[in-house]
Amino acid sequence: MKSFWNRFLGNPRVLIGMIWLAVVVLVALFANLLAPRDPFAIAGVPFMRPGGAFLLGTDSLGRDVMAGLMHGARTTLLIAVLSTLAAVAFGTLVGAVAGYYGGLVDDILMRTTEFFQTIPSFLFAIVLIAVLSPSAINLVIAISVVSWPPITRVVRAEVLSVKSREFVQAAVVAGQRDSAILLTQVLPNTLSPLIVTGSLLVATAILIESALSFLGLGAPNQMSWGFMIGAGRSFLRDAWWLVTVPGIAILLTVLSINLVGEGLNDALNPRLADL
Amino acid sequence: MSDSVLAIENLVVALPAWSDRKHAVSNVSLEIGTKEIVCVVGESGSGKSIMGKAILGLLPRPHVRTAGGRIMFEGRDLLSLSDEEMRKLRGGRIAMIFQEPMTALNPLMKVGRQIDEVLEVHTDLNPAARRARVLELVNDVHLPDPERMIASYPHQLSGGQRQRIVIAMALALEPALIIADEPTTALDVTTQAQILHLMKELQRAHGTSVLFITHDFGVVAEIADRVAVMRHGEIVEAGPADHVLRDPKADYTKALVAAVPGLKPRLKDAQAQPPLLVVRDLEKTYVSAGGFGAAARRVKAVNKVSLDLGRQSSLALVGESGSGKSTLARCIIGLETPESGEILIDGARISGLSRDQLRPYRRQMQMVFQDPFASLNPRQRVGDIIAIGPMIQGVAREQALAEARELLSLVGLKPEAVDRYPHEFSGGQRQRIGIARALAVKPKLIVADEPVSALDVSVQKQVLELLNALRQTFGLSMLFITHDLRVAATVCEDIAIMQRGEIVERGPTARIFADPQHPYTKSLLDAVPGKEWISSLG
Repeated sequence: MKSFWNRFLGNPRVLIGMIWLAVVVLVALFANLLAPRDPFAIAGVPFMRPGGAFLLGTDSLGRDVMAGLMHGARTTLLIAVLSTLAAVAFGTLVGAVAGYYGGLVDDILMRTTEFFQTIPSFLFAIVLIAVLSPSAINLVIAISVVSWPPITRVVRAEVLSVKSREFVQAAVVAGQRDSAILLTQVLPNTLSPLIVTGSLLVATAILIESALSFLGLGAPNQMSWGFMIGAGRSFLRDAWWLVTVPGIAILLTVLSINLVGEGLNDALNPRLADL
Repeated sequence: MSDSVLAIENLVVALPAWSDRKHAVSNVSLEIGTKEIVCVVGESGSGKSIMGKAILGLLPRPHVRTAGGRIMFEGRDLLSLSDEEMRKLRGGRIAMIFQEPMTALNPLMKVGRQIDEVLEVHTDLNPAARRARVLELVNDVHLPDPERMIASYPHQLSGGQRQRIVIAMALALEPALIIADEPTTALDVTTQAQILHLMKELQRAHGTSVLFITHDFGVVAEIADRVAVMRHGEIVEAGPADHVLRDPKADYTKALVAAVPGLKPRLKDAQAQPPLLVVRDLEKTYVSAGGFGAAARRVKAVNKVSLDLGRQSSLALVGESGSGKSTLARCIIGLETPESGEILIDGARISGLSRDQLRPYRRQMQMVFQDPFASLNPRQRVGDIIAIGPMIQGVAREQALAEARELLSLVGLKPEAVDRYPHEFSGGQRQRIGIARALAVKPKLIVADEPVSALDVSVQKQVLELLNALRQTFGLSMLFITHDLRVAATVCEDIAIMQRGEIVERGPTARIFADPQHPYTKSLLDAVPGKEWISSLG
């Protein structure tokens, strides 16, 4: 059997996705070096076409689109990754406890999860931002609050199937405590689906963040891709690049994450992929 | 041989590049005559199942594919047929019986409809004629009350009944050849005996040829006309069943024959010490939830069972699945809570204790589990798996790991195995790791729940020998749960027979074998596959 890394990186779609993600991450990390000026600062004449003095042109106020794109990558990625981590941590906790203990605990936790699932997630996020006031940390809170239920369901289902395996009984016979069994025996065996769901959740988080920023509910004074599209939408017919450039950035990034997530799934569950 | 139904000529099946050997089947030739039962015997990994699948064109292509040879069936080479022609042949002229009847049947379809579907696809019969044929088939495989049977779903039937349905499906179109891949391995000994008997009877009545794949020479002795022994994808010996069984030529065949557990009972050493384990009037009832108007079902899994087990002695609990033997073991080890009754270990009462209170007693009793693939955590190193018990009892990690190394060499594995993960080991090796884990806390009592039933016969023998040797070294008592009297006889001095949650007979192994009292014990003894052949080996 080929190793995990062989299967993962040997997949051309994964490679394409990884390359684009690497570019985005590097740009986000070094945005201050690559574009040292404030992305909100006026850099030149408004509505300069791409390819002139500015590679991707300028917007209605003469701000450099390239600089916006770089700093936007930082905001967008940071918020998406943080909110996903928070959602995964919380979702895993709830799912693991519900699946492991079952019975009344399971009922209460899962009915609560379903309550969150029945609310349309994007509207819920808007309401949360409206109540909490727009800021980077509140965006993270809002996005993770609407995206933890799927993680909970995945983890609970996995825990249910793993906990009936004999090695868990062996741990009981050895005298291990419930919390230790959950942490050392059960949860490590739920990792593969968790990693896959989590990686795809980053893509969803980027979309929610962009949509909120587009509506003007994003973090104030922070450049983000959604904000750029929102600001440029009224000039769509005169300055197409204002909307198109960040739009393509979102499209490629979300697509890359999905490719990598699918690749992770194929590599972690090799039997589903080929035989 | 001119009257052969199937002739495999120099068949080669290639494995993908990353496998540990190049060919699953290399250069195998085998003929099956009309009305003949040919057994292919071998351990797992010998290529016997792959050969069966190659005949039906069911290989997991493109990774595993035929790379040479011919499979001649009714004048045609099966390897050259198109997918459509193969599809007509499958189920029609060649039928297959699988190992696990639960997965071979569609759980959402009534079994009658599933047999009917075979007829609908392959014949022009009208619905009324098909129904008559289905009933006739169900009757042929000796299922009681065919009308009710065909209206049942697979989960409502027992394992033996399901396998009968699968056999009825296989016979539906009067095939010339049936390929049976370990059809009785998942069944109890008594059910296995009935199914083997049925297959033989039907094979005679319908004049079908059978290619029977198995790893158990006992089964071969029951059913085979001719035998082919496979190893590493090659046939090492072939011939009439009588010759191969009584006078094996190849060394490998000799080893396989020797691995069949004999029926020689172990003798008991006299002892006068108080017993280590005492169980008194234990009761455990399972209540399956009702709901949607259905009444809750109560099953008495263990019904007022009392038994005792002396120091350094061993007792086999023998019974079919559903007899409550596993539940009893799980109650003793503390995985289930009995409703009433008492369990004493070394004079101390352990029934009714909470898990925290039970922790000190874990040092005295440990368990060996049935399935070596499910009982080891795939994400933990072998060392951590073994050391967990001592570490919970307060031993330092370094020392526990050092002890784990020693234990691994005691169970016949390399000490370096501590740093490896379970998936790097074979089933037999994994079971050795499971045994090492149980021994890590130096218990006085080992409860072994069918520890060898998931293993091949030859591996089974090695594991049983290991358990025996360890019993001597550690002075262990053992409660050995099994459905196989042959296994019970090789390991245990005492046998308790369980049926429907009760112990119906209990006594020294020698006495039970020589003079069984209870009718159920007699039927279990009669069901041992290849009984006459094993006795004749002496």
